[in-house]
Amino acid sequence: MTRRGFFTAAALVAATGAAGWIAAAQQAPDAESLTFLGEPVTAAQLALGQEVYAANCASCHGADLEGQPDWRRRNENGRMPAPPHDASGHTWHHADRQLFTITRLGVSAIVPGYESDMPAFEGILSDDEIVAVLAWIKSTWPERERGFQAEVTANDEGGS
Amino acid sequence: MMKVRSVSGSPLGRRHVLAMLGGVALSGLSPARWAQAGDAAASALAFDGDALVVAGAQVWRHDLSGGASATLATPRPHIRALATHPARTGRLFAASDGGGLDRSDDGGRTWAAASGGLPQAQVAALAIAAGAQDTVYAAVAGDGLWQSEDAGENWSFVMDRPWIAEAEREMLTLASVNLASGMGGIWIYAGTERGLTRVPDCFCRWQDVVAGDAMDALVAGTPPAPEAPLPEGEPVLALASAMAAPERFVAGLPSGLWASTDGGVTWSRRSGLVATALAVHPTEPSRIAAATADGVILSHDGGASWAALPTT
Repeated sequence: MTRRGFFTAAALVAATGAAGWIAAAQQAPDAESLTFLGEPVTAAQLALGQEVYAANCASCHGADLEGQPDWRRRNENGRMPAPPHDASGHTWHHADRQLFTITRLGVSAIVPGYESDMPAFEGILSDDEIVAVLAWIKSTWPERERGFQAEVTANDEGGS
Repeated sequence: MMKVRSVSGSPLGRRHVLAMLGGVALSGLSPARWAQAGDAAASALAFDGDALVVAGAQVWRHDLSGGASATLATPRPHIRALATHPARTGRLFAASDGGGLDRSDDGGRTWAAASGGLPQAQVAALAIAAGAQDTVYAAVAGDGLWQSEDAGENWSFVMDRPWIAEAEREMLTLASVNLASGMGGIWIYAGTERGLTRVPDCFCRWQDVVAGDAMDALVAGTPPAPEAPLPEGEPVLALASAMAAPERFVAGLPSGLWASTDGGVTWSRRSGLVATALAVHPTEPSRIAAATADGVILSHDGGASWAALPTT
């Protein structure tokens, strides 16, 4: 599969899964310009994403997206603590496609051989749920970080 | 019991004490050990415009266009690392043996401390961000990577040491390289006691140097194995890239002088020369300076031939 083909497939997975939400829900009023993998984000997706985050992500990344304490310092096992997902972290430096892939397949899918305490969520969360939680995280960022991440995503080949 | 305090005056924690101990351990791998003993020994090199600054127990400034040399004031007893930026000629950062970081804005004639918030521990390597002349990186022995965004006035911890072969590894040399990381920034390369690694300047994670970005590997379904990496497990004593040609690197290892023309993915051994410090001219990548056990040498042809540089 070519790189573009992979992206197309990934985008189709996300877009197909999100189609029901897009059809059923109005676009989020507070996320007018927010997209994920090129698709507009809806209020229903954000609501789902917030729920999914609380149930699956907050235990490590923090209820307020603050990450684990001293997250820049390695744990005794050599692995890095869970980073924040707010503006103080580095999540907003990653393109949509990277965020989706890391969440679905694990960090080692992006950095071969990298060991992380974060599991791959494939089989735990649906692609729709992964899209929703990432869209919700994006919706919490200040304008500067959202703009930066939108540019990174646009520069990523096949990005939105 | 007397409390050890940092440069900023705050009590030192376990990390800072470990950092100082790390500095002691690091001295066994430091360029100073490899460099020639005596006044002519050089442990750090940097181009400041067309001048080559050579530092060790003393600081020399050698004008390559005119061939004139001058001995300058030394901020502290022995300089371990230097950093300059071509957009800010005359500004030098110097890390001293045993800890301490100083800045000169007049080409090394006068110096002032530039270590606010840094632990009082050995700074083993320095680099200035390729795209931001006020952003400086310092590798603190036994601790990790620190960053200043105001030319050394204030420092903050940004990243733990690289994890290679099941352990944290000391950084011996740093280079900020203007190659896109795919994360909206560029790469910081580190030569460690166990090989080469790099981190995006958003500081998400240290990772191997591979071709393209890792998404390519995912699409292809196989990890991108470098065709010719540096020898596995060998310390990278010195590393330099050219500002004008960021894909070109030279690296000094105990096994010799190595070069890469593709951002550090593939390497070839150029000679048996053991360089403990390297500098590449910012606009003329074929001009390379190297500190060796026999003194400082200079090449004008990318390392094919060398000539000695007087440093006294």
